[in-house]
Amino acid sequence: MAEMKSTVNIQNFENVEALPKPKSKVKEFVKKFTKRKTAVISFIFIVLLLLAAILGPYIAPYDASQADYSNLLQGPSAAHIWGTDEFGRDVFSRLLAGTRLSLASALSATIVGTALGILFGLIAGFYGGWIDSLIMRCCDILFSFPDILLAIAIVAILGPGMINVIIAVAVFTVPSFARIMRSATISVKESLYVEVARSIGCKNWRILWVHIFPGTIQSMIVNFTMRVGTAILAASSLSFLGFGANVTEPDWGAMLSQGRNYLNTAPHIVLFPGILIFLTVLAFNLLGDGLRDTLDPKMS
Amino acid sequence: MKNYKSIIAVLLAGTMLFSLAGCSGGKKDKDSSSKGNQKTEETGKVDKDGYILKGTDTESKSEDNDLVIAIEGSVSSMDPANIPDTNAISATRGVYENLVQFNEKNELVGQLAKDWEISDDSLTYTFHLNEGIKFHDGTDFNAAAVKANYDRVVNKDNNLRQRRTFIVTNDDGSEEPRVASVETPDDYTVVFKLTKAWSPFINRLSQFCIISPKALEEYGNDIMNHPVGTGPYTFVEWEEGDHTTMKKNDDYWGEKPEVDTVTIKEVPEAGTRTAMLQTGEADFVYPMPVDQIEAVQDTKNLNVLAADSNIMRYVTLNMNLPELKDEKVRQAMNYAIDKNAYVQLMYSGYGKPATSVVPQIITGYEEQPAYDFDLDKAKDLLKEAGYEDGFKLTLWGDNSTQEIKGMTFVKQQLEQIGIEVDVEPMEPATISDKIYVDADEAEVNMWYVNWSASDFTMDGSLRSLLYSSMCPPVSANTAYYSDKDFDKDLDDGLTNADSDAQAKVYADAQKRAWEACPWLFLGNDRVIYSEKTYLSGVYVSPDGAFNYAHASLAQ
Amino acid sequence: MGRYALKRIVSAIPLLIVISFLIFMFIHLIPGDPARLIAGKDATKADVELVREQLGLNEPLPIQYGKYMKGLVTGDLGYSIKNGKTVVEAIAPRFKPTIMLTISSMIWATIIGVSLGIISAVMKGKAVDYIAMLIAISGISLPGFWLGLELIQIFSVGLGWLPTGGLESWQAYVLPSLTMGSGIMAILARFTRSSMLESMREDYVRTARAKGLSELPVVMRHAFKNSLIEIVTVGGLQIGGLLSGSVMVETVFSIPGLGRLLVDSIKFRDYKVVQALLLFFALEYIVINLIVDLLYGVINPKVRYN
Repeated sequence: MAEMKSTVNIQNFENVEALPKPKSKVKEFVKKFTKRKTAVISFIFIVLLLLAAILGPYIAPYDASQADYSNLLQGPSAAHIWGTDEFGRDVFSRLLAGTRLSLASALSATIVGTALGILFGLIAGFYGGWIDSLIMRCCDILFSFPDILLAIAIVAILGPGMINVIIAVAVFTVPSFARIMRSATISVKESLYVEVARSIGCKNWRILWVHIFPGTIQSMIVNFTMRVGTAILAASSLSFLGFGANVTEPDWGAMLSQGRNYLNTAPHIVLFPGILIFLTVLAFNLLGDGLRDTLDPKMS
Repeated sequence: MKNYKSIIAVLLAGTMLFSLAGCSGGKKDKDSSSKGNQKTEETGKVDKDGYILKGTDTESKSEDNDLVIAIEGSVSSMDPANIPDTNAISATRGVYENLVQFNEKNELVGQLAKDWEISDDSLTYTFHLNEGIKFHDGTDFNAAAVKANYDRVVNKDNNLRQRRTFIVTNDDGSEEPRVASVETPDDYTVVFKLTKAWSPFINRLSQFCIISPKALEEYGNDIMNHPVGTGPYTFVEWEEGDHTTMKKNDDYWGEKPEVDTVTIKEVPEAGTRTAMLQTGEADFVYPMPVDQIEAVQDTKNLNVLAADSNIMRYVTLNMNLPELKDEKVRQAMNYAIDKNAYVQLMYSGYGKPATSVVPQIITGYEEQPAYDFDLDKAKDLLKEAGYEDGFKLTLWGDNSTQEIKGMTFVKQQLEQIGIEVDVEPMEPATISDKIYVDADEAEVNMWYVNWSASDFTMDGSLRSLLYSSMCPPVSANTAYYSDKDFDKDLDDGLTNADSDAQAKVYADAQKRAWEACPWLFLGNDRVIYSEKTYLSGVYVSPDGAFNYAHASLAQ
Repeated sequence: MGRYALKRIVSAIPLLIVISFLIFMFIHLIPGDPARLIAGKDATKADVELVREQLGLNEPLPIQYGKYMKGLVTGDLGYSIKNGKTVVEAIAPRFKPTIMLTISSMIWATIIGVSLGIISAVMKGKAVDYIAMLIAISGISLPGFWLGLELIQIFSVGLGWLPTGGLESWQAYVLPSLTMGSGIMAILARFTRSSMLESMREDYVRTARAKGLSELPVVMRHAFKNSLIEIVTVGGLQIGGLLSGSVMVETVFSIPGLGRLLVDSIKFRDYKVVQALLLFFALEYIVINLIVDLLYGVINPKVRYN
C-alpha cells in the first residue's frame, strides 16, 4: 500500500543524485525562481507577514485585547481601519497580533511534524526490513483516519490549549513526510556516492545525515512550505469545531470562527481574517509550487 | 512582456479581493453609523405582543402546507419517558399528550385530564379524564392506559430516565418511591397517592406522556422508533441528527391540526438557520441568534419574537478555594461585573440582569437588591479581604461560540479588579468528567454555566445547584455552597402545601444565597425565535420547548 | 489479478485487528463521561451510577474490549448511547448523503481540476498558466466553513438562486459540493500539471511533435494518457478522504452525513458508534487503496502484480 502511494511522490526525487555545486546553484536558483512571478509575489507577501509578526505589537494602533463596549461591531473607519469586533476591539490590531500567534503555531507544528516525519522516513527507507514495515504500517493507520479527526482526538485527549493544538496538527503532518522521505531515501540510497561512502566504511548515521539527507532537502523544502498552509487551515478548522487554541487570544482561526455569526450583520469581522488566512495559505502554496518548479529538474 | 501581464493579473485579482472587502466594509460603515445610533435606542425592545421585529408583509402566502421548523440541537429521543433535552420534549409533544400541560400563558391546565383535585394533606391527586379520546392505533385512551404508562416508567428493567420522577434513588443505592399507589376506580378516573408531600409532583406530570398500551406491548422499548400517542400529529420518521417528521392526525380529538406535515430539522450552524428562514426553506427558527436580528431587518415577510425564559446564567465560584472563601471577595467580583453590558453584549439587550438566584418566572421569585456595577466598591472589598493585588483563576465552560463569548466577557470584567482569568472552554463531556469528582480532587475554580428548571419550581431551580449535600460528585453544587438554614428553607418548601408559607421560606432561601454570592449572577436572557409572517400558532415556551399543535400556514 | 486482490485483502486483516484495538484504546482515553451527559446536570450520583451500569460502562476495559470484538465477529455492534438505536440504525441513513456529496464533488473537481492542470502545463510560463494555477490553488487555501457560509450568503440569501443545503433537490448539491470539492480540484490540478510536464518531456512525445503532429492531439493522446495513472491515484485517495465525510461542510449545510455523525458521537462519547465508524473508515481506506492499485493494471497493462 505504502509502496503504491509513494510512486506519486517519487517523481520529485529521481534526479536529485546529481552532486550539488553550491555557488552556481544558488545563482541558477535565484534566476529560475524570479521567473515565476506568482512565487516571487508570494515570497514577498510572506516576508511582509513575518515582519508584521515581529513588529506587530510595536505598530498596532490599539491593544489587541482592549475592549470598548461603546464601540461594538463598527465598520471600517478612520479610527479603526478594519473596524471593531463584538467586544469593540480593533480588528486590525487583533489581526496584527494574531499574525505572530498563527504563524508561530503553524510553523512550529509543521517543523515538529516535518522533523519527525523526516526522521521516521529516513530510518524506514535506510534500514528497510521490519523497521520499515513497522513505521509504514503506523503511517497507514494514521492515514486511515481523516486528518481533522485525528487532530480532534488528540485535542480531546490532551485538552485544549495552544501547545496541544500544535501537537495535534504536527501529528497528522508526520505520516506524509515519513512517506515522502522514505521513498526519497530509497532512491538516494542506491546512488553512487552513498555506495562509495559505504564502501569506505562510513557509519550508518553518518551516511544518513551527511549523504542521504542533503539529497532530499529540496523536496522537503517544497513540501514544508505547502504544509504550513495546511497547518493554518487545520488550526482554523479546529477553532470552528470548538477544539481551537487561544479562544481569548487573537488567533486568526479563533477570530474567524468566533466572528462567523456576524457574517451578515458586520461582515468585516470575518472578511478580514478570512481574506488574510486565504492569502497567507495561498502564498505558502504558490511559493511551494514555485520552489518545486525551480528546484525539481524534471519541471524545467 | 508576458510576465508583466501575469503580474498585472495577479495584482488585479488581489486588488479585487481587497476592494471587495473594502466595499462591503465601507458600506457597512455608513449603515452602522446610522443604524448604530438607532441601535442604542432600539435594541432590547420588545412590544407588548412579544415582537422584536414585525414583518410588514402580512399578506405573504406559503407555497405549501408543510411546516418546517429549524432548530439548533438534536432530537435525541422520541421516547417521552426517556427524554434528555428540550428539543426531544418539543418533538414528542406533536405525537403525545399529558394529563396536564402548561398553556401559552404558562398556567397549568388540563390536557388529557379534564380536571383534578389535590387533597388537603397534599398526598392524594385525583384526575378526571377526558372521554372519547383514541390513540393513533385506534385503541381507547382511559385510566388503564395511564396506569400502564406509570407501570412502564417505574419498571427498573426499562431503564427510563423518567423513573427518577417517581422513585428517588439514595446514594447507597436504596430506593424510595414517591408514589404509594396508582388506582383506577373507574375508566376515567386516576388516583395517585404519594408517600409524602412533594409539591413539584403536579408540575412533573406535565412531562408524563401517555403512550398507547397496545403499542407498548407490541414494541416494548423500541417504541421510540414507532411512537403512538393521542396528539394532533402522527409519527412518520425520526432520523436522529437530521430530522423528525410528523403528519396531520385527521381524527384528532381536540381542535384539528391545520398543516399537512411538520418537519423538525436540525440545523447546527446559526448563520444557516437564519438563511433558511430568509430563503423560505424554514418557516420557523429557534433559537434565532440575536446577533443576526439586524440581518433580517429588511426581510418583509418575517417576524422576530421574544418570550420570557426560565434560563439563569451564572458563574459558580468554588467556595473551598482560599481566595474565594471570603464572602467579600465574592461580592467584590459581583460588583465588578457590568450586568447591563453583559445583557447588551451577549443578547443585544434581549434579556435582563439577574435580580435573584432564580429567574422571575419561577414560582416564589423575589427580587433582591442589585450588585450594581461599581469598580471602586469592588476594589475596596478586595482590599479589605487582603487581595488588592488580585489573584489568578481558571474559568471553565462549554466550547460553543456563544459560551466562549460569555467567558471572554467575564474575563474582561474581572481583570478590571486585578483578577486574572484563564478561559478554558471544554466539551460538555469533558467538563462533566472534571466537575463530578470527590471534593478533595476538585479542580474547578469558576464554571460558566446556565440552568433552566423545566418544572418552574424553586426546588427544581435550587436544590441540585446549592443544597449542601448536592456538591459533586453527587450533583451540580460546584460552588460548594453550604448553609444549613438555606437547606432547611428548601426542605420546608417541599412539604408546604400552603403557598404563602412556601413563599416565605423561598424568599428567605433566595436572600441567603444572594447575599452569600456563591455565584457571579449574570442575567436572564429571553427566548428568541423567528417565523414567516404567513405562519401562526407556533410559539416557544419559557423552558425552550416549542409548541406547534395549532400551527397554521396562510395559503 | 484476482489472486493478488485476495492476497491483499487477507493481509489487511491483521492490520484491521490492530486498528480496532487502537480505536478502542483511543476512544476510552478521551476523558469524558457519557453517563453524566445522559442523566443530566441535576442527576444525583446514584442516578448516574445506574445509567453507567445500564450502559455497561462499569465493566473493566478488557471485558468491554472482549465484548466489542465478539460483537464485531458476530455482527452485533451494540447500541448508540446517545439515542438508543442500534449502531447500524444510527449509521445507515448517513451513508447516502456522504456518498452523493462525494460523487458530486468529485465530478466537478476532476473535470475542472484536470482541465486547469492540462491548460497550465501546455501553456507553461505564460499568463494562462499563472491564472489557472492561481484559481486552482485558491481552492485549497480557503477555510472550508468560511467559504460555505459566504456562499450561502451570496447565492442563497442574496441572489436566491440556490438552497442552503439539505440535499433535497439537485440544486441543493451545488453549494456543498462546491465547498467540498474545491480542495480536491486544487490537488488534482497541481498533480495533473506536474505529471503532464513530466510526460511532455518524454521522448515519444517529442518524437510525435517532431513528426509534425499538432500540439493538442499530442498532448491528449500521449502525454495525458501517460499522466492518467497518477491522476487516478491522487483522485482515488481523495475519494477516500471525502467518503469519511466532511464535518465542516456537513455542519454548515445541515447535511446528515458521516462526518457530522462522527464528530457528534465523539462529543457525546458515544463509544460504539465512534468505534464502528472509525473501523469502517479504516476498511474503506484499505479497499480504496486496493482499487486504485488494481486500476493501475487496467490503465497501464505493463504493471504486473506479484
